[in-house]
Amino acid sequence: MNTWVIVVVLVLLALLGAPLFSIIGGIALYAFDQEGIDTSSVIIELYRIAETPTLIAIPLFTFAGYLLAESRSPQRLVTLARALFGWIPGGLAIVVLVTCAFFTAFTGASGVTIVALGGITLPILMKEMYPERFSLGLVTASGSIGLLFPPSLPIILYGIIAEVSIDQLFVAGFLPGILLVSFVGLYSMRVGVRARVPRVSFSWPNLAAALRGAVWELPIPFIIIGGIYGGAFTATEASAVTAFYVLIMVTFLYRDMTLFRDVPRVMKESMVLVGAILAILGTALGLTNYLIDKEIPQQLFEFVQGNVESKVAFLLILNLFLLVVGMMMDIFSAIIVVVPLILPIARAFQVDPLHLGIIFLTNLEIGYLTPPVGLNLFLSSLRFKKSILEVARSVLIFIAIMAAALLIITYVPDLSLWLVNLLGIQ
Amino acid sequence: MKVLRWCDDRLGRLEGVLLIILLSVMVLLAFVQVILRNVFSESLIWGEILLRHLVLWIGFLGAARATGEGRHISIDAFARFLPTRSRTIVRVITNAFAIVVCYFLLRASLTFIGDEIDFGSVVYGEVPSWYSQIIIPVGFGLMMIHFAVRIVTGIHGLRTGVPQE
Repeated sequence: MNTWVIVVVLVLLALLGAPLFSIIGGIALYAFDQEGIDTSSVIIELYRIAETPTLIAIPLFTFAGYLLAESRSPQRLVTLARALFGWIPGGLAIVVLVTCAFFTAFTGASGVTIVALGGITLPILMKEMYPERFSLGLVTASGSIGLLFPPSLPIILYGIIAEVSIDQLFVAGFLPGILLVSFVGLYSMRVGVRARVPRVSFSWPNLAAALRGAVWELPIPFIIIGGIYGGAFTATEASAVTAFYVLIMVTFLYRDMTLFRDVPRVMKESMVLVGAILAILGTALGLTNYLIDKEIPQQLFEFVQGNVESKVAFLLILNLFLLVVGMMMDIFSAIIVVVPLILPIARAFQVDPLHLGIIFLTNLEIGYLTPPVGLNLFLSSLRFKKSILEVARSVLIFIAIMAAALLIITYVPDLSLWLVNLLGIQ
Repeated sequence: MKVLRWCDDRLGRLEGVLLIILLSVMVLLAFVQVILRNVFSESLIWGEILLRHLVLWIGFLGAARATGEGRHISIDAFARFLPTRSRTIVRVITNAFAIVVCYFLLRASLTFIGDEIDFGSVVYGEVPSWYSQIIIPVGFGLMMIHFAVRIVTGIHGLRTGVPQE
């Protein structure tokens, strides 16, 4: 059969919503078969899932994230963040940003943030007289804002695919992540001041109560940040400690959940996402192997090099390309499928793989918000019963702000690399 | 129809129970390993290997659940805009495609396991690799069953006018 016919049919099927793993698996099977190689090679590559130690972090962090999202942690964290930042002009918006960033980092940008936190934060924003459109936009945009902070799953996945140290990536994402949060934060403060949102005054007893309320959540950032940034243990080890700790926390320390009724439900629920990611990863390993064998990235590189002169132009095109990818695909498939193709090209343009990862993830983060098909728009529209159009309009300004941050992240590599070199993380 | 749904439901529960057991083992074992390594400076060699294979098993069982619940990752942006009836038809087609791919992946994995058995490869010590690898064909088989059930219920829904969820 004609290869082009097959390509068109597969693309059509993908756009119609066929499971992506079946598309990728189909291409891999067909490609190997055409080469006269036994299709069991696809499975040989798939079996690498059981030979990659870092992959253990994916089920463990996903489980921990789902547990946190289904417990009463969101309420406790919002209360704590309000006690901390509520007195700042526009402080409530900062509260939303910080808690959302924390949650997204933990739940790996699977959309849980909007579902878990949006229902709490949006009513508070509205009650305190923030403009409706701004509030909706902020809550939607915050749904993926913590993507660059540990232990976010997309970072782990990028590390595995690009064969870059995950510990280094976590450090590399820190400053760019702060930059994104502070850009959006500054804008939010301005809106808060302009809308004359009443400020609550800071109170020590209030903060003390909130701290006591969230006392068992407090060690978590230290486990992750202290553990990884301090070099005490690896990302994989941090995932093991976090999953175990969060389990103990929600069942015994807070008693939000029962060990034999709620926890099994969350386990099943979270492993559906893990299964969906690994199905794509497994089949993509076969396809990637074929592509590299056929020197496709090499050819792609020669094509790009023939048409793009400078690193500056390359980075700009990369950004535009990734924004489109982010609009069309979910973040996990995008990383698994696109990174192996882009990586050699970026390397040839002397873009550090760490820096590339941060650019990649920032783009995909924005892709979550871009009409017509960004995931956060749909989640937000469902969650808050607003039309897609309304949600899309509300995030436009946030897209612009994040795009500005993206440009800085792209053209100032040191933002990503400086801290890595400073701390000398291996 | 009822019997089919009942069977699919039972199978789904079995997968769920297995997932819960395996993930529980994983959470505990991974934690014990960290303690052993950092506090006692030793670790269970088989523990690392078991953990890696647990990822494989959890992945396939999770993928089977994702199939049963229709929650595989896909580009659903365009199908979302279709009217209910056409959306069901499109789903039947895409699920049928997925069955075909799973069938060939199942066959490929049987060849793979056959080779591994002939080769006599082991996971650790005396434990043959296929003890773990068997989940690959089993997983694709489970996915085929769930896809098939979704197709049948989809077509049934089209004929009776009750749309699939």
